[in-house]
Amino acid sequence: MGLARAAAIILSKELRAEFRTRELLNTTVVFVLMVIVLFSFTFDPTSAESRRFGPGLLWLAFLFAGSLMLQPSFTREQANDTLAALRLAPIPPVAILFGKILTNFIFLLFAELLLLPVFAVFYGLHILPVLGRLLLVFALGTLGITTAGTVFSAISSQARMRELLLPLLLLPALTPVLIASAESTVGLLGDEPALPQVWTVLLVASDIVFLTATWLIGEYLLEE
Amino acid sequence: MNSRGNWASTLAVAALIGAAGYAALFLAPAERTMGLIQRIFYFHVPSAWTGFVAFFISFAASIAYLLRRRPKWDWLAVAGAEVGVAFFTCVLVTGPIWAKPVWGIWWTWDARLTSTFVLWILYLSYLILRSLVADPERRAVTSAVFGIFAFLDVPLVYFSIWWWRTQHPQPVIGRGGYLDARMYAVLFVCWAALLGVMALLIHHRYQLEALRYEVDEMSIEADRRS
Amino acid sequence: MKNLESLMAAYLLVWGILFVYHLSVGRRLARLQDDVKRLKEKLGGA
Repeated sequence: MGLARAAAIILSKELRAEFRTRELLNTTVVFVLMVIVLFSFTFDPTSAESRRFGPGLLWLAFLFAGSLMLQPSFTREQANDTLAALRLAPIPPVAILFGKILTNFIFLLFAELLLLPVFAVFYGLHILPVLGRLLLVFALGTLGITTAGTVFSAISSQARMRELLLPLLLLPALTPVLIASAESTVGLLGDEPALPQVWTVLLVASDIVFLTATWLIGEYLLEE
Repeated sequence: MNSRGNWASTLAVAALIGAAGYAALFLAPAERTMGLIQRIFYFHVPSAWTGFVAFFISFAASIAYLLRRRPKWDWLAVAGAEVGVAFFTCVLVTGPIWAKPVWGIWWTWDARLTSTFVLWILYLSYLILRSLVADPERRAVTSAVFGIFAFLDVPLVYFSIWWWRTQHPQPVIGRGGYLDARMYAVLFVCWAALLGVMALLIHHRYQLEALRYEVDEMSIEADRRS
Repeated sequence: MKNLESLMAAYLLVWGILFVYHLSVGRRLARLQDDVKRLKEKLGGA
């Protein structure tokens, strides 16, 4: 079976499992909402400064949310040892990873899009004129977060203290993605909206590096 | 390794650093604007280069482990990472000591300082990951994958922080223009000495990991018999 | 001779960090060698 088709099957399995309970999505959305409100206590959200700091805080919230929501990706499989069953399936092992990356990408992006209007209202930002480019930045940034995040979640699920370990592995590695996404968002929400090309290039480069590395060495994480 | 070999390599490490220190303190010419404090440079910069070499060794060993599955590559990977962290600790400690008299502040979120700091944290998390996986083979595989990701991440970290810093206004930091030929010579002597130190330390750490593997094997055997 | 203390501190710290690291590896090595001895006796006796 081809990689794409196998990954799509994994994706549909994951989506069905999630929509049965919707635990992950609800928790993530409420978590980010709470972080956005908490940020408003640490500085005056109506000042002009918020336009410069807001996007950074928003991406930091997404990053923390990602490092929490990516955790169950593999630990959920451990409860009933379903990963062993998946490994027996006649599909390329790396398709399991790609299916999970796709699932997490869809979930995190969906949560972000739900929160974007709330963020814009709370912090008085104009998102409608730049929505298309903003979506591009969100998609590229989220792809980076979820690719590295899913792989690292496969790593941390095999260790002790995994809840602490995943953010520890993920946050330093995602520094480039955080900076590039936040700076792109700042550029788009400024007085003269512009998408700085250098950050788009960096986001694309990070995504390519993470996806290629996953494709080449990801399957080692899934062996018995 | 026997205890005599242990002492010999300890002495060799001390002697190499002493020789490099002599070259940097007495053979290198004085720098005009910064004066004495500039001589930190001869350990600060080569420590960073040496740290990179150690991380590269760890990266190459991680790839070799995934391909060949010999425990020795895993031993080399952890030795390279740990020694690299030790060298980057030197970089991060000497940086502020230089910055204080020259810039008047201990720390600035300058591009190089920041990216070096992120890199240091990245490899610390690699070492923490290793300490949290009990099964030796699991530990080798997961840390090899993480080590490869971490090393590939290094250029991304450097470029992102570089562009991020150069976009924002920041105090102009004088980086003493060109270097005197003798300064280059001393710089490379120090680097060679530190590379020697690195090789000794990696060798030493490799022996430790090999012995640890042996102890693990023996305790499994002992458990099986009892 | 300005900043001589800072320079000396930096040199000693670099030297110290690498040396202490080296000693710590040696210490860990010695402890493992004890373990090996203990395990060998245990395995030999059984």
